[in-house]
Amino acid sequence: MKKKILLATTGSPASFGAARVAFEMAKRYDAELLLFHVAGVPKKGFSYQEVSDVRSQEAVSVDEDYMAWVEEELKTTYAKQLEECKNSRILLATGLPHREILRAARSEDVDMIIMGAHSGDSSAVYSKGYPGSTLQRVAKAAKCPVMTVHRESASYMGGFSHIVFATDFSKQSESAFKYALSMAKEFDCEMTLFHALDITSKVLAQSDIEDKLISLRKRLRDVYGPKMGEFKNFEVDVWEGNPYVEIVKIARERMADLIVLAHNTRDLDPEQASMGSTLEQVILRANCPVVSVNRPDKV
Amino acid sequence: MYNFLTGPMVWITFLVVVVGLTYHVVTYIRGLDWRLDRVGYRPNMQFGLKGAARSIFFWLLPWGSHGWRAKPLFTLLFFSFHIGLLFTPIFLEAHNIMLRDSWGIRLPGISTGLADFLSWVVVIGGIFLILRRIAFPEVRILTSAYDYLLIVIAVSPFLTGLIARYNVGDYNFWLIVHIITGHVWLLSLVFTKLNHAVFFFLSRAQLGMDYGIKRGGMKGSQMSW
Amino acid sequence: MPEGTLCNRQPITTDEQLKLTLSDKGGKQYYAEMEQLEVDTDKLWSAIQNTMKSRLKTWLNVCAKCGLCADSCFLYECNGRDPRQVPSAKIHATLGEIVKRKGKVDNAFMRNCMDIAWSWCTCCNRCGQFCPHGIDMGVMFSYLRGLLFSQGFVPWELKIGSGMHRVYKAQMDVTTEDWVDTCEWMADENCEEWPGLEIPVDKEDADIMYTLNAREAKHYPEDIAEAAILFHVAGENWTVPSEGWEQTSLTLFAGDWEGCKQNVLHVYDAIERLRPKRVVGTECGHAHRATVIEGPYWAGREDGQPPRPFLHYVEWLAEMLRTGRIKIDPAKRIKELVTLQDSCNYVRNQGLKNITREIMSYLVEPGYFVEMAPNKEYNYCCGGGGGFNGIGKYRPQRNIALLKKRQQIMDTGAKLVVAPCHNCWDAIRDLEEEYPMGIRWSFLKPLVIKMMIVPDHLKPQDEEGEE
Ligand code: HEM
Ligand code: HEM
Ligand code: SF4
Ligand code: SF4
Ligand code: SF4
Repeated sequence: MKKKILLATTGSPASFGAARVAFEMAKRYDAELLLFHVAGVPKKGFSYQEVSDVRSQEAVSVDEDYMAWVEEELKTTYAKQLEECKNSRILLATGLPHREILRAARSEDVDMIIMGAHSGDSSAVYSKGYPGSTLQRVAKAAKCPVMTVHRESASYMGGFSHIVFATDFSKQSESAFKYALSMAKEFDCEMTLFHALDITSKVLAQSDIEDKLISLRKRLRDVYGPKMGEFKNFEVDVWEGNPYVEIVKIARERMADLIVLAHNTRDLDPEQASMGSTLEQVILRANCPVVSVNRPDKV
Repeated sequence: MYNFLTGPMVWITFLVVVVGLTYHVVTYIRGLDWRLDRVGYRPNMQFGLKGAARSIFFWLLPWGSHGWRAKPLFTLLFFSFHIGLLFTPIFLEAHNIMLRDSWGIRLPGISTGLADFLSWVVVIGGIFLILRRIAFPEVRILTSAYDYLLIVIAVSPFLTGLIARYNVGDYNFWLIVHIITGHVWLLSLVFTKLNHAVFFFLSRAQLGMDYGIKRGGMKGSQMSW
Repeated sequence: MPEGTLCNRQPITTDEQLKLTLSDKGGKQYYAEMEQLEVDTDKLWSAIQNTMKSRLKTWLNVCAKCGLCADSCFLYECNGRDPRQVPSAKIHATLGEIVKRKGKVDNAFMRNCMDIAWSWCTCCNRCGQFCPHGIDMGVMFSYLRGLLFSQGFVPWELKIGSGMHRVYKAQMDVTTEDWVDTCEWMADENCEEWPGLEIPVDKEDADIMYTLNAREAKHYPEDIAEAAILFHVAGENWTVPSEGWEQTSLTLFAGDWEGCKQNVLHVYDAIERLRPKRVVGTECGHAHRATVIEGPYWAGREDGQPPRPFLHYVEWLAEMLRTGRIKIDPAKRIKELVTLQDSCNYVRNQGLKNITREIMSYLVEPGYFVEMAPNKEYNYCCGGGGGFNGIGKYRPQRNIALLKKRQQIMDTGAKLVVAPCHNCWDAIRDLEEEYPMGIRWSFLKPLVIKMMIVPDHLKPQDEEGEE
């Protein structure tokens, strides 16, 4: 079956990185690319048409003309890519960005969502009161892997050569692992199985830490080793520290160009969302695309 | 003239007032419509009556409702004015003597001093009500000549009664004027907005039933008037 | 031109007419046609004669013109105490005048009435509490809206809103299929975190049938998921109907009484069909008013009660917290100043004032809950009631109307406002947009979910990743 990739874009430079990766991936997998854009967020209590434009923040009323105009804008913005990518469609919606992204992903049954870190968050007040960022809410609820490209420099330029898979041994990490492995096989690249020992919450004696690191390395090998099958090009590592910092550090050190991790729901206290879950912090700091996987469905 | 006004005319006026006000009460109640008003009066009468009683009670109590407490000075004015308006004529010696002479009944009387005092309260109260209508923009916008007329009608028997009582000018002339304004006063209870003497109770009862039935009463939560 | 193609005396009853009206950008043509719309004075007068009985007639006649209602109206206060905003002045300049002229009024007069009925009054009923004669201008304005609607003088959005209800049986174009699919979607999205979570559709004889606001289905289905999670945790045997799930009533705001009746009958039909023991509605004020408080009368139920006991969400939640079926983790209680918005529609109009405070006593660490002043049945309207929030034409007036609530909130010093009413929630959101003051606002559901103790058997059985 042909794969479908949904690119959630704001049409602004913040999502150019995501767009580049999406078009590349579509090419690579010969997948269908859905260029998805939430044109506006409902403004008034029961507005039927008035939305606040995602980019200009202005109140506009949605009708065919407006939608056609938005579509035209998107076509211009991505003219070159669309030229090359024959198998693509533009989808427009109005609503709360995270919900519409999820809705489209569900109704189109896509295999992957690719988005910028801030896709849709611009209309601050209108997404306020609904806890969590767009990214977080998409990552939490999506059934397929969600790839986030924070910076343009974080977008890859071809294949992947080194994947860091960070696990916390949760059930969700199982799915993330499967995905990481399949990517590693697909791109025939190196893979680091990584766990970060969180020492931020309690004070541990150095010797305890050492012991833990050793036992965790063993655990990584025991849990994932047997699942590697034919694939041999991997190593295991456990570092101690603040998880997101360590994940970003090892990715840097190994010159990884993709990080895969589970979006663990335990991370999510929506109120604290702006301060960030591990996932969000990794996305903001990493120099490469980050994939979060939450469900077994699409890996 | 004097004899007519204090004889048959009194009968006529009283009859008109009693019949008129009864008519107002009956038509009002018959005109209540549970569908249009969206209040289930009949099936929930118990709750309704309780709500009605509360709604009237707290508003008859000086400073008894949030509304009265929000305007303490006006409340003072309102209650003194109305107490004077209602008590004085009923318990006045002069009226009671006439009552006894013609119908053979009388109510307990109040001293002349108190009667004078209450009458002055009404007259001065009336003046303040007029000044208030001129002074406050939020009342001025509502006021029409009719509202001044009502105050004049309400106050004039008191003013003329006082004049007669103090023997200023021609007693008999002022007495006749007094009696005429008195009749006008009484008849106005039926034919002008002064009919609020009954409609106050009806309208308050209605809103009280609304609160007592629909707006919380049946949920066991009483409106705090 | 007696009647326009968009602006006319007929309510919208077909999808084509609805789409046509919707496509009129911001109601430009609609309002232009309105300037030509003829007033059917005979119809207007006969409507008044048929429906204006004791209560309203007396209210108009007996008003002492004393002005005691002035200060009670937040719109009077927000608008620089403009005397024209005195409730009595407003109603006598409009409805009073129509009655005085026996319905013989012209187009310009009716348009002015429309402006006043929808942008000078939110039908919050507060003035009625301050009038010594018990005259409730909110009720009268609501009546006036009915007259205006029947003559076609109604704001564009509300014409559409009424049409939405008539065509889609919901305030937004959510079809039965969309709705049922959304339920599946939400169950699916949350079943990993909440094993066994279901959103049962059309289950008969359940203990609870849940009804909601179409906006939740359309834009924010998380709310449905949250409701499901709370029913799940409380162990309720519950269901949602596939038809008759929409509880709101823009027809109420529009003055479309016929439409109101249709709406509420959809819900009552669902109740008769599924026979739940009780019905619970979502955190919405006017929806509750429309279905539970006024609805029975529209539906012709003389006892004024819906077919089954019908609770507002706060009543159900308070019961769960009281009986311990939902327990709050004391460590997670709110420990910052927090205040509560009393919704006119179920506090002033159904006396649920103590229920919400009972809930707050469970959710908030003692000492952190601050009341607005005034509060309970005397609270001011949020500023966006009665349809105000949704009408583009009256946005500027609505923004002024928010100032009262802004002051009230600022005076509490709280940065968190609990607003268990969709409309109030919107108004407070807009408040923060128009006049930023750094506040947050929330429904009850997400707060409770964050704070409650989840029984072990309801947690996902995979905690071994934990160190
Ligand atoms: C309808 C026939 C009425 C008659 C025949 C009547 C007769 C009288 C008489 C004979 C006096 C005594 C004057 C004096 O002291 O020499 C009097 C005084 C008075 N009447 Fe009337 N009256 C009538 C109606 C009313 C009404 C309707 C009111 C008020 C609403 C009223 C209020 C007063 C007052 C306030 C005084 C003077 C009290 C005082 O300062 O002593 N009267 N009236
Ligand atoms: C049972 C009896 C009565 C009750 C409960 C009652 C109640 C009220 C109320 C609630 C008001 C409106 C508030 C205000 O403007 O002060 C009012 C006003 C007024 N009442 Fe009465 N009333 C009664 C009897 C009367 C009578 C018998 C009269 C005179 C004939 C009267 C004369 C007036 C006048 C002139 C006003 C207007 C005051 C103004 O200009 O503001 N009332 N009354
Ligand atoms: S308070 Fe009541 S009687 Fe007085 S002006 Fe207002 S509506 Fe009229
Ligand atoms: S109902 Fe509310 S908004 Fe309308 S006049 Fe009365 S107090 Fe003002
Ligand atoms: S939105 Fe809330 S506060 Fe405002 S009128 Fe409606 S119920 Fe009242």
